[in-house]
Amino acid sequence: MGPVKEVKRKKAAKPAGEEFTKDFLVGLLRRMMEIRGFEDKVFELLARNVLQGASHVYAGQEAVAVGACAAIDQRDYITSTHRGHGHSLALGADLKLMMAELCGKATGYCKGYGGSLHITDVSLGILGMNGIVGASHLFAAGAAYGIKVKGTDQVAVSFGGDGSIQGNFFSSAANAAAAWKLPWIGIIENNGYQIWVRAADVYGITDLAQRAHGYGIEGRVVDGNDVLAVYNAAKYAVEKARAGNGPTIIECKTYRWYDHYGAGGAKIGVDGAFGLGYRSDRELRDWMAKDPIPRFRRFLVAEKVLTEQRADEIVAEVRQAVEDAAAFAKAQPLPKPEDGLRNVFAEGAVPLHTC
Amino acid sequence: MAKSMTYAILEGIQAEMRRNKLLTLLYEYQKPVAGGEKGAINLEAEFGRWRARFCAIDEQWIVGSCLGMSMIGVPAIAHIPSMTTFIPYELMFNHAGKLRHMTGGQAAFPMVLWADMMGRVPAQGGQHADAGLESSYARLAGLKVVIPSNPYDAKGLMIAAIRDVDPVIFCQYPMPSSGPPVPDEPYVVPIGEAAVRTEGSDLTIVGYAPQTVEIGKAVEELKKEGIGAEFLDPRTLAPLEGVMETILKSVKKTGKLLTSDDGSYSFSNCTEIVARVAEALPGTKIKRLAFPDAPAPGAPEMLSYMRVSAVHIVAAAKKLVKG
Ligand SMILES: Cc1ncc(C[n+]2csc(CCOP(=O)(O)OP(=O)(O)O)c2C)c(N)n1
Repeated sequence: MGPVKEVKRKKAAKPAGEEFTKDFLVGLLRRMMEIRGFEDKVFELLARNVLQGASHVYAGQEAVAVGACAAIDQRDYITSTHRGHGHSLALGADLKLMMAELCGKATGYCKGYGGSLHITDVSLGILGMNGIVGASHLFAAGAAYGIKVKGTDQVAVSFGGDGSIQGNFFSSAANAAAAWKLPWIGIIENNGYQIWVRAADVYGITDLAQRAHGYGIEGRVVDGNDVLAVYNAAKYAVEKARAGNGPTIIECKTYRWYDHYGAGGAKIGVDGAFGLGYRSDRELRDWMAKDPIPRFRRFLVAEKVLTEQRADEIVAEVRQAVEDAAAFAKAQPLPKPEDGLRNVFAEGAVPLHTC
Repeated sequence: MAKSMTYAILEGIQAEMRRNKLLTLLYEYQKPVAGGEKGAINLEAEFGRWRARFCAIDEQWIVGSCLGMSMIGVPAIAHIPSMTTFIPYELMFNHAGKLRHMTGGQAAFPMVLWADMMGRVPAQGGQHADAGLESSYARLAGLKVVIPSNPYDAKGLMIAAIRDVDPVIFCQYPMPSSGPPVPDEPYVVPIGEAAVRTEGSDLTIVGYAPQTVEIGKAVEELKKEGIGAEFLDPRTLAPLEGVMETILKSVKKTGKLLTSDDGSYSFSNCTEIVARVAEALPGTKIKRLAFPDAPAPGAPEMLSYMRVSAVHIVAAAKKLVKG
């Protein structure tokens, strides 16, 4: 594991505000930087055609994953989406194993079977990225039902984009969670677009958290580029769920800097993807001005939690960790071809039919 | 430059939308836009958003609404993305395929489910590299299933599907712009007719969609070795009767059948074709090649090991012919 342990996972809830220790706050910043660093690297590898496949870059949305994951701890679960590198890293996934998986290596998180879309670490409670939009919500609500059966005080958090609430996965999750007060927290990352389709053109509401009310769930809207705002909303929801008071839906307004997937419209070393046609460069620039990372860094420096010098050191440490991860991934072995026949069932291999 | 699959399909839809002022297309994010030498097609710009509309990520709506509107005489095309092939399965199975029969012939669904298919693409992982799902639709009653392997067939089959009064599932795999040139005018490739891609008398090879590329290469290779393969592309998977006439005629001549499939081995269209041949022509020498009964792994090394390629087809064909 890289130097990513500063977000201390608390074993029990502390009184409000008490968790805002220096370590905790700096940990939030580091985690966001780590995600950005990882995604910048992924983007660079995509642009240079080193990486194959569809990596859906999370840059711009870091405060959502980090704020939400800081509110839960090791006993809890998350479910994630196609744009899920950030969710997994926020919960403490290993940079090296992630990069190895993206590179299709035998030692990656899913041993090369999954790739970018399916990073999973069950041991950390990361039940997996899912490439089918909306499925994340359903599985987290199902896990929340399982938590009720087990009688523990765990919670399950699902991430999903603005596109994730329309198929019936979401409504099934929300209805059951409301009816039986399941410890489910549904996070809607509203970045305004579903590939190129504007959410505004396919929904009759602007604040998607409004959907919650129809199910009988409390819905909240927060600034998804403000890590503490996300954290506070998630913390509230987690405590409520642990106390047996049911689900919360939190809509985080945010923006993705790059294209839906891949490196279109972007240049190595330059932040953001421009000239994409379905959105204006100005809109992107406005959102980049609200970058969650420098914003939180400035705040921590102003509050004297962190010096500029220490912040620069963290930037350098993170950069090194990401480079190490890329080097690690490159050096890892490829999967054995015949292993494709394994892991279909718990035991054995299925027959080949090419001869 | 030859017309692409998408261009050819959109050209067909465009002609039908001009002819039938009610025909409507709903889709998710696969813009009905294509550029080609004959000028750009943009169905939304030409016909307006009511008749060519993008939707939320809601395949139930896209397909279900097309069923509903087609019931009142608004023929419709539902275009869904590749990883969602089975999300509308219940709608097609329990409603589209059954209501004509259940209502004694009253209900009709003149609609097309235009299903994008991904095929065995590397570096994607299980959910985004599937093939063979057309077999699951082909086994449902009351549904027609077509699967073009080149732009010419794609345009003609799309027009046939639109004009058909019954629900048709149109499976579009990414295919190269090969095959016969695509005429600008509308034309029909009839549903239920197989295509004979190459003639030969030593063995019959059957395969469709991305496997046609591998089979095509294999047939050339076999020719060099003096083996004449008759290569048949079913183009229609349901109903299969017309297609079987062509296949049986060929196998009667060659006595040998090789099928090659990107879908998984068990319970597939090729399984069905083999069963029908075995039933009608006992004694036929038969070989099936297919993807294993497994999801597609992300890593290219594993994926290409599992997928049937021209090399495998050549080897299997030689074995069938030479004993
Ligand atoms: C059920 C389903 N329909 C369609 C797709 C294709 N698809 C993949 S991502 C995506 C857009 C997702 O938008 P959103 O949920 O807002 O998340 P974002 O990409 O903005 O993070 C679509 C349509 C899919 N993967 N699953």
